[in-house]
Amino acid sequence: MILFRAILFFLIFITPLKADSIYNLIKIPNLEVYKIDTKNGLRYLYATKPFRLGINMKKNINCYNSDKKILDEKYKVIKKNLDKYSLNFLKRINLKYIVLCENLSIAEINTAGIPNNKTRTLILDIKFNKIYFERAIHHELFHIINDSYKELFNKNVWKNFNKKNFKYSKCSTCNDNWNLDLLDDEGGFFTGYAKSTASEDMAEVFSHLIFYKNKVYSNDPIIEKKILFIKKNVLKIDNTFKF
Amino acid sequence: MIVKIKISKSEKIILIFLTILGVFTFTSLIILKNKCLFVKNYNPNNIKFDNPENIVILNVECGNVIIELYPNISPNAVKRLKKLIKLGAYDDAAFHRVIEGKLIQAGDLEFGKRENLDYGKVGSGKSGLGIIKSELDEKFKYDRGSVGLARTFELNTEDSQFFIILQDEPLFEGEYTPVGKVLYGLDVLKTIKFVPKFHIVPRPDFINSFKMLN
Repeated sequence: MILFRAILFFLIFITPLKADSIYNLIKIPNLEVYKIDTKNGLRYLYATKPFRLGINMKKNINCYNSDKKILDEKYKVIKKNLDKYSLNFLKRINLKYIVLCENLSIAEINTAGIPNNKTRTLILDIKFNKIYFERAIHHELFHIINDSYKELFNKNVWKNFNKKNFKYSKCSTCNDNWNLDLLDDEGGFFTGYAKSTASEDMAEVFSHLIFYKNKVYSNDPIIEKKILFIKKNVLKIDNTFKF
Repeated sequence: MIVKIKISKSEKIILIFLTILGVFTFTSLIILKNKCLFVKNYNPNNIKFDNPENIVILNVECGNVIIELYPNISPNAVKRLKKLIKLGAYDDAAFHRVIEGKLIQAGDLEFGKRENLDYGKVGSGKSGLGIIKSELDEKFKYDRGSVGLARTFELNTEDSQFFIILQDEPLFEGEYTPVGKVLYGLDVLKTIKFVPKFHIVPRPDFINSFKMLN
């Protein structure tokens, strides 16, 4: 009994002390501040060591620390893109922390970003495919918007925009078509990846709208409807938002 | 006949050694063990305050910590804190979470009191008055001595626990409800017991009393 008590005491008290302020705020270890005094209130953090995240024992999110040089270079790109969003808008969608790291993966599948509106955090892979990197920032940000306003971005309404015989996959990684290139024959979708799930489709529409601005042009009536839907609902969140 | 005996060189060395040993023993047992020896204790009665109605006195082993509350920044949080202070609820509450040079936290009125300290649960206890909404202020500078209300991982879960920071924490700005700032006695807080790498302080220090000035 004494031994049991001693072990219990040891386990209670010798839990690793994750005393740092960042961990207490967003529950991601091994981070330090990159920049926090930004105009739109976003706080940029970077990984000083690799970290693993997940629920309970299933820590299946991995990301690694990066070189200072790459970090400095990518920070400028990310900031330029995220500066498009105002403090007010970011507050409304619940985004405050941007975590910069490299080779981000979930269940060993590489991803551009992992959004979490509950922790107000967006983890970004700064080594994600250069061609799509900037657009992917907006794509991932849309997931924060979507998670914060699920009632506005109703999947069933969205699905009705598509052709009757079309069905999304069961999940975003359930098919092999992760192509982010613009499709020639759009058929209601900007990219192959947009065909994976309704929320990925919405994120693709949003990211094209933000990244290409007025250059986004489509004769596709389905895409036109989708663009209108995204614009209308984003403006419901913040009527001063500029596409 | 008395013969004066001259002490030898080796005896001199032993004498010096014993003297040094004596001084060292005295220093370590009396002076160094008294953690309050060089800490200034402020008497609030000797200080004139602009807003005496918002001054609270946290008394701990080494003296008084004088805090000014900011009801204009966080009216509900200050109201809650004042209510608990007036009830004497914080007396004998443990400083259960102390991070050296960074932060001290106390105010778990359910599991953190001297008479029923529960190491397994301390930090998760409540006051019984219910939780209150976060009152965040982006402009409030969380510099050294700032006092804030603790919360769970989620916003709007503040209750009775509070923390005082011992170093500037810009990351706290807009994250935690600020309730005031330490005016005098920050050094007193540095004497609060901490144990490096321990999540919860075993055999912690306690609040002697937490009172309103008036």
